[in-house]
Amino acid sequence: MAHRTLRSYGFLLMLVPALILYTAFVAYPFLSSLILSFYDWPGIGPKKWVGLANYANVLGGVMSKEFYPAFAHNILFFAVSWLESIIPSLILAFGLAAGLRGTNAFKAIFFIPNTLSIVIVGFLWGLLLNPQWGIINQTLKAVGLASLALPWLGNMNTALVTIVTVNSWRGMGFYILVLLAGIVGISREIPEAGRIDGASEAQIATRLMLPQLLPHIATLTLLKAIWSFSVFDIVFAMEGSQAGPAGATDILGTLFYRIAFGGLGASQIGMGLGASIVTLTFLIVFPVSILYVVVVERKPGKGA
Amino acid sequence: MFRLNRAQAVLVMAVLVLWALMNLFPILVMLVSGFKSTVEIFTNPFGLPAKWTMINYVTAWNKANFALYFRNSVLVSAFSIAGIVLVSSMAAYILARYEFPGKRAVYLYILAGLVLPARLAVIPIFLLMRDLRLINSLAGLIVVYVATNISFSAFLLINFFRSIPMDLEDSARIDGAGSFRIYRQINLPLLRPALATVTIFNFINVWNDFFFPLIFLNAKDKRTIPLGIQTFFGEFAIQWDLLFAGLNIAIIPVIIFFLMLSRQFIAGLTEGAIR
Repeated sequence: MAHRTLRSYGFLLMLVPALILYTAFVAYPFLSSLILSFYDWPGIGPKKWVGLANYANVLGGVMSKEFYPAFAHNILFFAVSWLESIIPSLILAFGLAAGLRGTNAFKAIFFIPNTLSIVIVGFLWGLLLNPQWGIINQTLKAVGLASLALPWLGNMNTALVTIVTVNSWRGMGFYILVLLAGIVGISREIPEAGRIDGASEAQIATRLMLPQLLPHIATLTLLKAIWSFSVFDIVFAMEGSQAGPAGATDILGTLFYRIAFGGLGASQIGMGLGASIVTLTFLIVFPVSILYVVVVERKPGKGA
Repeated sequence: MFRLNRAQAVLVMAVLVLWALMNLFPILVMLVSGFKSTVEIFTNPFGLPAKWTMINYVTAWNKANFALYFRNSVLVSAFSIAGIVLVSSMAAYILARYEFPGKRAVYLYILAGLVLPARLAVIPIFLLMRDLRLINSLAGLIVVYVATNISFSAFLLINFFRSIPMDLEDSARIDGAGSFRIYRQINLPLLRPALATVTIFNFINVWNDFFFPLIFLNAKDKRTIPLGIQTFFGEFAIQWDLLFAGLNIAIIPVIIFFLMLSRQFIAGLTEGAIR
């Protein structure tokens, strides 16, 4: 009997490579990182158990002067990028849903920035935003808005929002296509019924179809939150691991990088201390992740 | 979906064209600049070059290590994607089609990886790689990419598997075909559009990834293109012509690849791969 059971479950072998790799390089590292956060360890030599000392340092000690601003910057990153991404993406997705000539080309064009490396996007926009000869400021001066021709990336007040905006520019295509999928999935009877009741096309979009899109917007919001708290590349590419000017763009990702992997200007370094930053980040991301899984699982036709 | 009158259609079209230009303009500036001399990049930054030159590409390729970075990126991307597609499609097939005790737990366990940013766990991954002597190894980087992209790819594919009717599979089973044969001969061909989506997503991620190479690769001869470009900024910051040629070498393959598969990719995405 045992032999027979084993044979009938032979298909499970196809699951094994995924489970081994996923466990070793994704699941186990998360657990291991949590454990590491209770140790003082420079990366080599013996580990020293320090209990909650790393957390005390980050939340109330020397490192808190860097942790809280970075944390606040992640929140700002999320809020600004939400506004910049979701609202224009909705407008553009409705525009694509109108089915005008060239719609397929527009879909492809809107996704092209997504295909570029963040390092390259950061560099490219660094050029366009160059205070002396970048086209952004040239254009502002040409249209009589010279007062707005700021050193966007060098100014403490504008640097972070500028970086978020560049990041939004790159990511819009994904949001547009997901929202378009939502619009296309809405029953045709809804706009038809609206028209019979005398609603304008704009009213159909905003009053009848927008509510139907809330689940998609919720999904994208959760993804945006998860990505906003694990962001690193765009800041590193545009402002370096120091996250200048004067730390104005420092986020948890760059703070973690300086602490765990050195880099210039780390006020303190250590794998355990770095791991505690990660665990705190994880504590923020995890509830959002659970929420995401619940939302995704609730949708009809989903779930194992 | 909408019935627009002429004025409305013009307005919508204007918005779409404006955003398309805002997408394309920076990229076109970058592409065209790769064919200019350094002087012209500054004197005529946004116009077409007076004389198109390929010399920047030749120099970047031969003297600025771009041939090497390119080779590394191609190797890493090709093997990673092959690995991701194989491993995650097998897992997706089992999770979508078979019943076994603990299946839901396994599904949720893998789904969790969809939203756990792997970079948060980079210290233990780094230590594991160090113990396995996989630092500075392209093979090591490939293993990490395969592992960290399983969740997302399997999730997409599970949804696609569910949309494929079971009839074919059932008749093959009656004819005595085994699990792996059914998967390979019946399901894989039907999954083509889904595999295009998974391939593009992963190609974009892996080709462009900067974080893992930054952490795992120190040796100059192992750098992938994004890491090579980052260091290139420092070393060649004054040689703008080479810099732009290097940027173009990095972006052209992925844009071409995307445009080639874009129809299937967009169809995959808009038919509800992600909701």
